[in-house]
Amino acid sequence: MISKRVYIAGAGIISPLGRGLPATEEALRGNRSSLRPMTLFAVLHGKPLPVGQVDGLNGPSPVPRTHQLAHTAALQAMAVCDRPPDAVIVGTTTGGILTTEQLLRDKVLDKELYRYHGLTSVAEYIAGALGCTGPALAVSTACSSGAVAIASALQLLRRGKAEKVLVGGVDCLCRLTYFGFHSLQLVDQQGCRPLDMHRHGMAVSEGAAMLLLTTVKPARPLAELLGAGLSCDAYHPAAPHPEGRGALMAMQAALADAGLAPAAVDYISLHGTGTPENDLAEAKAVNTLFATPPPLSSIKGATGHSLAASGAIEAVVSAMAVSANILPANTGCRHPDPALGLLPLATPISHATTAVLSNSFGFGGNNGCLVITKPDSFPPAAMPSQARGGLAIHGWSCFTGAGDTARTMSLLTQGSPVAGTAELETISRKLPPRLIRRLKRLSRLTLALAAGAVENSGPGDQPASVFMGTGWGALSETHDFLTGLVDSGDQFPSPTDFVGSVHNGPAGQTAIMFGATGANITVSGGDYSFEQALLAADLFLENTGKKALVLGADEGHHFLSPLFDPSIAPRTPLADGGGAFFLSRKREGAACLVQIPFYPHPATEGCIDSLLESLGGVQTLQGRYALLLAGIPAAEREEGERQLAGFLEKTGLTAPVVRYREFTGEFASASAVAAVMAVSFLAAGKAPGKLGSGADIALASGESILLLGLGRALSALEFSRP
Amino acid sequence: MSKLIEELKVKIIDILNLQDLTPENFNENAQLVGGDLGIDSIDVLEMVVMVEKDYGVVINSQEVGEKVFSSLASLAGYIEGNSSGSAS
Repeated sequence: MISKRVYIAGAGIISPLGRGLPATEEALRGNRSSLRPMTLFAVLHGKPLPVGQVDGLNGPSPVPRTHQLAHTAALQAMAVCDRPPDAVIVGTTTGGILTTEQLLRDKVLDKELYRYHGLTSVAEYIAGALGCTGPALAVSTACSSGAVAIASALQLLRRGKAEKVLVGGVDCLCRLTYFGFHSLQLVDQQGCRPLDMHRHGMAVSEGAAMLLLTTVKPARPLAELLGAGLSCDAYHPAAPHPEGRGALMAMQAALADAGLAPAAVDYISLHGTGTPENDLAEAKAVNTLFATPPPLSSIKGATGHSLAASGAIEAVVSAMAVSANILPANTGCRHPDPALGLLPLATPISHATTAVLSNSFGFGGNNGCLVITKPDSFPPAAMPSQARGGLAIHGWSCFTGAGDTARTMSLLTQGSPVAGTAELETISRKLPPRLIRRLKRLSRLTLALAAGAVENSGPGDQPASVFMGTGWGALSETHDFLTGLVDSGDQFPSPTDFVGSVHNGPAGQTAIMFGATGANITVSGGDYSFEQALLAADLFLENTGKKALVLGADEGHHFLSPLFDPSIAPRTPLADGGGAFFLSRKREGAACLVQIPFYPHPATEGCIDSLLESLGGVQTLQGRYALLLAGIPAAEREEGERQLAGFLEKTGLTAPVVRYREFTGEFASASAVAAVMAVSFLAAGKAPGKLGSGADIALASGESILLLGLGRALSALEFSRP
Repeated sequence: MSKLIEELKVKIIDILNLQDLTPENFNENAQLVGGDLGIDSIDVLEMVVMVEKDYGVVINSQEVGEKVFSSLASLAGYIEGNSSGSAS
């Protein structure tokens, strides 16, 4: 099968270099560094560190700085198009945290003011502002988020799930990353000097870049996105593999995906953060892959490292390289480090450029590389044939307030709730003490879930890839880092908590535990995070029999959960947990199949009809479902019930409906537990009647369970026997 | 010095959550970083923070850090040699 060509129809950018492509190009041609002492917030001790800071962002705004940056870039990218995109994908690591930090410092506890904290709020805000009624996804793989978001959009487009996707990355300066990277001694106090022999670290920065990708050839495409490759170091939570193993695998995967040999690459846009370890590992990988490396540079000496935005910003700069034939300099590097064996561009050059490889690497060992070319310069990339019929589940596990899968299912069978928060010791019981000594609640929950699902499938395979959904990420580490920072007068934040605070920390730990070096993607979609993780698996899991872990997990934090999660009211008991699946495309030996007939969509007018259409039309539904598991978050009760009533009325379905949050409690990843319920029931051939009001529900062969997500978004998962 | 060493054992076991270690079986002369304890660069930075916070001694470069953290005894020696006031 020949894949579809994916064009970059438009691009938007806002960074410390300026706003828009012309200003960015001019700054790059001038080889100027934008780094200077940070002024965005007050620093109590010492001199402010050099950062990349965006000037002139509009004053008071109802949304946080990150959302404003993303919106600015989105409007630029959409200038070429008069219709909303079919989907929006945003890479971001910290969402609205700058606002959250200030509110916490001011001891403001009005939860309405925290509504833009979550990562998903950035994607939802952009989708809402543009009138996009399709999926809005937030990818969070630390410093590779922007590149991984773009790789995800590429898959969505190639699979025909959308024709136009607006995708990019964004992050703003905030205390978490400013003090966090400093606590890791990764910040160069003299600015950033990538690849220099005297380099001493990075400069934290901010910005946003968005690209409008389309499979419908525009009149004047900026560039073509020919391929993408992902990998995971599976080595260390914060340091790169010393030999650049993951970096090499990602570059190789991107070139293979694009169908290009290394010799076809005219320019490499390096990740090049300026830390001694990153630049050395990346140089080793480049020198392994390329006999003679092409011209290359890192622009982070000019822009700083804008974290989730950087991969998208550098994708735009790569598009500029092929469209305007400008190769930017490696600003800040005066004495190339002989130990690296690379000679970065000392000045910007005009150079006919057809193919660019753009590297992005991040905490958790999450790597993403993109291949960006002049349009139609190479044969379209060939794609492996696409498996139909969903994902085959070989193992599963869950954790709830009741404990592990066996305890949870035993209580549910009696119709008893499992809501609550298990003791940390209970969660950690089967995990190696050395492996988890630095890990707090969410990472431990995730590892327990992952280990449970793999063990449940019986002896044999290990996962190659990890797809994780979490609504709120590592709240304990985030809370402890910010509290420690304030308590010490901004002097002594914990480096361990900073490393643990990233949303993709748990998935990175999972990869280390299993040596899973394939794609490793963390998404954050509020109450639909698990559904988004399944979506990511559906996009990336190949038809090769290779296995993946798909997880949804959230921790209940006594202070932050009630503040952030709209479904937790003052008297709502704290609950948490999640579910995990060990799955592949191979049906043989599978216990259950899961299909994703309807990716999570914002709940807009007429979306029930789109859902019904995706399920195959009303006529096909009679007798198909023996049970409906309905996910209605407490904050969305009225709307969710209205949607459910509408769905039942239109379909005439009479199958029993279980509102599973009555049993799991309120937390963002409750749907992952519901998914485990569905699989367990199918494996047992019946669902416990005590969950409703009647006798046990027999699940005849051919009958399925429908898991509906309702409320702010609509989603549908269908579980059946193979 | 031995008082400082004993104090550091307790603090390091606590902040690095070395659950299978007790002050009694913590050998102050054994390799601290990269040895059997599984202590890595993040732990070193966590100890840097503790040393600065609790003893007012700044360890700000990697080269210094590597020597200082070679063993718990050398860490104690560095703290003692560089602290301005009392070390407890």
